[in-house]
Amino acid sequence: MNKMITRMMNIFLVLALINSCAQNKTKSNQNDSHKVEANNSAESELKVHKKVLANGLKVLVVENNRLPIMSYYTFYNIGGRHEGPGTTGATHFLEHMMFKGAKKYGPGQFDSFIEGVGGSTNAYTNFDNTVYYENLPSSHLATVIDMEADRMANLLLEPKAFESERKVVFEERKMRYENSPRGQLFLATMKAIFEGTPYGGSVIGEEADLASLTREQVWDFFKKFYTPDNATIVIVGDVSAHKVFELVEASFGKMSPSTKEVQAYKASKNDKALYEHRGRYNRDIRLHGEAPYPIFSLSFPGKPITEDEAFVMDMLSSILGDGESSYLVQKFVKGKKPILNSVSAFNYTLKYNGIFSISGELLPRVSLGKTKSRLISALKKSCKEAVTPRNLQKTKNQYMIDYFGNFETNAGLAHFLGLREAYFNDYAFYKKEIDIYQNITVEQVKESCEKLFSTNKSIFLSVWKKHPKK
Amino acid sequence: MLKAFLFIFIVFCSSFSFAVPLNNVEKFRWDDLEIVWLPEERHPTYVLTVYFADGALSDGADKGTTETMFNLISSGTRRFSQKDIADNLEFFGVSHGGVSNHEYSTYSVSGLVKDIIPTMKKVCHLFNDATFPIREIQKARRRYESSLKSMVNNHGALSSRIFRELSLEGTPFSYPVGGKLKDKRRWHQKNLLSKLDYFNKKVKKRIYITGPSEVKSIQKIIKDECGWKGQGQFVRSSNVDKKINQDAPRIVFVKVPKANQSQVKIGRFLNDSELKEDELMLLMTKYLGGGFTARLMRELRVKRGLTYSVYAFAAGQKDYGRSAINTFTKEETTGELLSVVRDVVTRVGAGEIPETELNLAKNGLAGGHLFQFEQTKAFLDQLVFMDHVGRPYSSLMELPDKIKSFSAADVARVAKEIFNWNSQTIVILGSPKAAAQLKEFGKVEYRNYKDFL
Repeated sequence: MNKMITRMMNIFLVLALINSCAQNKTKSNQNDSHKVEANNSAESELKVHKKVLANGLKVLVVENNRLPIMSYYTFYNIGGRHEGPGTTGATHFLEHMMFKGAKKYGPGQFDSFIEGVGGSTNAYTNFDNTVYYENLPSSHLATVIDMEADRMANLLLEPKAFESERKVVFEERKMRYENSPRGQLFLATMKAIFEGTPYGGSVIGEEADLASLTREQVWDFFKKFYTPDNATIVIVGDVSAHKVFELVEASFGKMSPSTKEVQAYKASKNDKALYEHRGRYNRDIRLHGEAPYPIFSLSFPGKPITEDEAFVMDMLSSILGDGESSYLVQKFVKGKKPILNSVSAFNYTLKYNGIFSISGELLPRVSLGKTKSRLISALKKSCKEAVTPRNLQKTKNQYMIDYFGNFETNAGLAHFLGLREAYFNDYAFYKKEIDIYQNITVEQVKESCEKLFSTNKSIFLSVWKKHPKK
Repeated sequence: MLKAFLFIFIVFCSSFSFAVPLNNVEKFRWDDLEIVWLPEERHPTYVLTVYFADGALSDGADKGTTETMFNLISSGTRRFSQKDIADNLEFFGVSHGGVSNHEYSTYSVSGLVKDIIPTMKKVCHLFNDATFPIREIQKARRRYESSLKSMVNNHGALSSRIFRELSLEGTPFSYPVGGKLKDKRRWHQKNLLSKLDYFNKKVKKRIYITGPSEVKSIQKIIKDECGWKGQGQFVRSSNVDKKINQDAPRIVFVKVPKANQSQVKIGRFLNDSELKEDELMLLMTKYLGGGFTARLMRELRVKRGLTYSVYAFAAGQKDYGRSAINTFTKEETTGELLSVVRDVVTRVGAGEIPETELNLAKNGLAGGHLFQFEQTKAFLDQLVFMDHVGRPYSSLMELPDKIKSFSAADVARVAKEIFNWNSQTIVILGSPKAAAQLKEFGKVEYRNYKDFL
């Protein structure tokens, strides 16, 4: 589900990822029969070494000695979906605090060490996961493992640093959402489509919640979720898997997994019924914001990342809105009578549910109401006009090429593998997903398209300076 | 296909021994055209970048023409429509596009090696037969107007645009590469065709390619179909010497509607003569504002919670440079943030640089320099830049030793020269509540953001 995850990540990077800082042989011809062929026998190619410690900590290693550098990723199974009324923003706040010192490596020491050896470090939080990463020279493997173990076991969460960081989070919130109509639109879209579900909050946090969050509340999240059985470590670089396992065992092996009570609590958060769509559809939500021309999203209930149809919807979103030749871009931006400055489609899949959305920005002197009607009409027609064998094959070709981008760097590969382990409980899921994508048919995409756009289950949101203030 | 992908990936994972990729770079000529090839066997992909030794400074009164020409080169030819071109290239998964700055331009193409020949034939066709259809130009004008006017809701981008224009004022580098709203009326088919012809025939070019040896199969296409044989020899060169005679910082406030955060940019123009110590400037800005542990980050974010991020840079192109400190804060603390920044740069300039802190920055730069070789496209871009500014590739490898040779006194000296408070241009973009806090720092100019669109 590379493309799905890739697209998901792109959206994250702009709006939803809340960072701590301030990132052969193929047939070849030029006609429609051009195909990038997949092959099923990928079993032995990626040499991933995997070990699961007795306490449940999962460790993945890929050895790459091209340069004496490495990337270290930690995926914690905790995100915005684990919060509730009054604690929105807590997991992201905790992510910030993870850089504020632990017992052995006190305040400032984590960053100082990583940056002092030429490395970089950061983290992001979304609704499903909190992910930390370090890129550094591989000679410092032992220290970075020790430091990560220290903060998993012995976070300080000092009151003074907690208050100082609260201000920083407010500044981040202003930057990403309050002063950005696109951020405003994104938050409102997620809340509307996932209304009444754990995905209907905001990862950055409601302003009132952020103001009132206590150290004890954040500490509670830390104690519940920052345990070895709730984490996956991925290391890619100039390391020996054997050595990594030895060091990880020494540093993390004695930590206790979460208690049965906590495990039961976590399991209760994984109840699929909690995440079923229950939004109020056929709505037109108008938000006042500083956009001189309206920006909008037309959103439909999507599917969880693990469902087969989510892959099909990935293809549909690309056919509709990926690239200059895509259906919506040609129709509304590049066509004879353009009405939009930009348009895109995305299929944002989360662990337990998803959203399919078209978003864009109007050109000057274009009616918002007429745009909405034309867009809905075009989407209905798109199932016949856009979902063609050539467009499907084009999308498959593009997906295959996208894989290389993940493999260019240690960080890219570590993230690639970690996401699959986090979402599918199987780092090697990429082999299946390539097959799934390659085998998707025009009929499947058409069926999904018609199912999605023939109903009236959509919510139209727009942000514009001429919308009334509420 | 996938099997091939993954097979190549195994090679990447298992059989490379550590060697600086720089040693593998080959330079040669196809006729008189210079070629730089970075062999890369890891994936069956390539990146090709055409370097043109001229940029937006060639526009004269027709501002924005160079960027628009590159943007619209794929908008239609004698044989194909914009839709045909996009569909054809995207079908093969090709990415392509041009980037211009004041001094030079690049056009990059990437895709699968097996498709490089038909792809380059298409790219050459664009460079030879682009017609810049009038209807496409009209559409581009409308999109440009919309994008620029919408910038009011992207405070970071808007303040950067304004800061660049004001801090480089009086030099040819201050005007936006893409032009302003008023310039779009100058985008005519005739101008764009003339601009393309100029870049094809007059401007010096160099081609950078990374990929396996098969990428060299395009030699004949470059020569016969692009028609690039190295005949164009013009190289843009500017000789600008800007004197900054200020006895106080120039403070400019720009109001934007409904902002509850102030964007803060502090910096100035750097003359060519100030760019000789580029490694030292790199160290100084790393120390001041390059990461979580940088001095400004610690003072502004960690100690006071005033901002989410701050970074500093001082760097040059071939003929000029810029320095800047970029940050933001809530409107109520604008004055406090400015005061802390002033205090920090003054102290650093006065030599208050603890050895341990400086060593952190030095070791950070030295230890991290191998990361610049990890990603092929980024590495290729560095080679383009090194050639543009006339610096040998070997200087990339010499960076760690040079960085380690600098003392705290060196850093203080260059910090004082570059971030001397009185010679700075300070742009604050935000709400009137922030403006009221600026008076204690000196005379404040008030500007309308629309003047910069």
